[in-house]
Amino acid sequence: MNTAAHPPLTGSHCRRIGVIAAHAFTQLARMKVFYFLAIFAVIAIASNFFDLPQHVGPESVGANVLRSIKSWSLGAMTLFAVVLSVVATALLLPKDVEDRTLYTILAKPVPRFDYLAGKLLGVLLLVMVSLGLMDVLMTVVLQIRTSMVVEQQTAMAAAMGYTPDAIASLRGETLANGPNWSLQWAVCAVFLRASIMASLALLVSTFSTSTLFTTIVSFLVYFIGHFQADARDFYLQAGHAGEGSFARVAALAVSLVLPDFQLFNVIDAVIEGQMLPLFLLGKLALVAVYYALFFTIASWFIFADKEF
Amino acid sequence: MRCFSPSRRGSSSLTRNFELVKPWRKFVILALALGVFGTVRLAYEARLSTELRSAGMCPPRLPIGSRERIGQTSSAVALGGLRTLVATFLNLRAFAAFYDRRWDKLAATYDTIVELAPRTRYYWETGAWHLAYNAASYYHNDSELPPLRRREAWRSYVIQGRAFLERGIRNNPDDWSLRANLGFLLSDPNKFPAFRDNRASFAAAAQAYQQASATGQAPDYVRRAWFYALARVAGQESAALAMARSLYAAGPHNRTPTLLVLLLVLESHANPALDSGQRAVELFGTPAKAYAALAGHWRRTREQFPVYGIAAALESLEQSLAIPKDHSLFNQAVPPPVNPDDWLRN
Repeated sequence: MNTAAHPPLTGSHCRRIGVIAAHAFTQLARMKVFYFLAIFAVIAIASNFFDLPQHVGPESVGANVLRSIKSWSLGAMTLFAVVLSVVATALLLPKDVEDRTLYTILAKPVPRFDYLAGKLLGVLLLVMVSLGLMDVLMTVVLQIRTSMVVEQQTAMAAAMGYTPDAIASLRGETLANGPNWSLQWAVCAVFLRASIMASLALLVSTFSTSTLFTTIVSFLVYFIGHFQADARDFYLQAGHAGEGSFARVAALAVSLVLPDFQLFNVIDAVIEGQMLPLFLLGKLALVAVYYALFFTIASWFIFADKEF
Repeated sequence: MRCFSPSRRGSSSLTRNFELVKPWRKFVILALALGVFGTVRLAYEARLSTELRSAGMCPPRLPIGSRERIGQTSSAVALGGLRTLVATFLNLRAFAAFYDRRWDKLAATYDTIVELAPRTRYYWETGAWHLAYNAASYYHNDSELPPLRRREAWRSYVIQGRAFLERGIRNNPDDWSLRANLGFLLSDPNKFPAFRDNRASFAAAAQAYQQASATGQAPDYVRRAWFYALARVAGQESAALAMARSLYAAGPHNRTPTLLVLLLVLESHANPALDSGQRAVELFGTPAKAYAALAGHWRRTREQFPVYGIAAALESLEQSLAIPKDHSLFNQAVPPPVNPDDWLRN
């Protein structure tokens, strides 16, 4: 293959990807996507008001409201992060074509892989900044409310004659439901899921004809991805109940192609007060990195041949 | 329109060389990579899924029945990784059912809530509380129903509350609070008649408190509550006495009037020749304090505590305190033991 006719490359891959990512981030930020943070603030504050009556005992005072804040906030974060990563990625390529920016970039000595990776990183940067801001807001609201609940519980426990040891144990239990590292790891899990979705949307957008198509297909894959574990189990355990070979092949195809999004439901356990060990988050990160890389490389395979 | 094809674009050597590969070859490479890496990933994900499940980080799959109960939209949201959020909304719905006193709907809603969030203690405790206390009391006070139906509805909800807590314990075996709540329900004098066999329910309460205490996270009062339940199990007097002595020795914070009286009762059971009046004064400090505590215990008939040696101690204390015969505790009416049929007649 003769490559002598190509203009020489200037700068490194990383630098080019960084420039494109920064541009994509600015482009998306200018679309006023951060306005949704106001809605998130309302959600985080509103979740404070669902302190329902509880049964006897200081242990149950405020137990519901702390979980409510985490549940509403992490739920809203998941929703915003997934929607943002899909819609923002689905918008980028068509918008660049529409603005003719794509032609200008591709006319320069920029490898298409760098272009795609830069765009993806720009979206991920946007999702990360958004999640970071939401996380700060959630942590502040949760910290304030946890202090109030601990104060209420301590007063009630002291009035009921709890010993200092029992009060300390109660305090420890309540603080475990407040802001902690596990909650931060859960936010990381939300980001990992969103990054898989962004890379998936990038892949779809390389052969899609419209933003709407990319968005719909990505969300369909998102919901089907929550059944991937069922398909995988069906494939791995098939043969015991006389399943047909077609069903096995279909289950294998789903398992090989689609991501298992149920793995990222660890955030539910964190909301319920479980501690997410860092090594498990690391294992989830490996899964996310695999999908992000695979989908990005697959996008490049398709995008490399595309003519504009 | 200008046309940008790969052959006219600038690239680095690696990317440029790849971009010149024929499309069908790229497809083959992609399919091979998918097969090879996908197989490795499949095994990795299956292992990780099992690991997360065994660490309690992944909730069990949502049963089909629950998916139908919460409706398609909520089901989709729950499957989309927001199970606890759906549980939070359903908890609000359950509260509305409680407010409207629609107990069947409340029970069904809590069934769904705990399937969505099985590790949340609050839902198990609140659901059991609504069933065993609020719904049961509602039927107990419902004067429009005939007594037999009121009794059966009351009993049925107490039993449902117990079953709900026991289910919660099976889902959260390490949770002290659920076990302590079960112990509390089983040793609640207002609920005794619902369980029919008092000895069995006190033994079950003692076991529940014991297991709560064994988690190592329960407050001190759980150990005392375990003792109070054990003291009422006929045939367990020796074990209860040993426990009373151990609690007494553990520190002054455990020396509640109930514990001191029960220590006296169990010592009297072990040694019928004991001078219970003298022992009561030793335990309480003065005859007046001892008399007040023992008199209170004598009247607590609803809780079904044992009373070995109490009558003798009270007689001895009445003599030493020179209480006139007409003021004697034995000449006063004692509240009868709890009986739901009596409540329902009112």
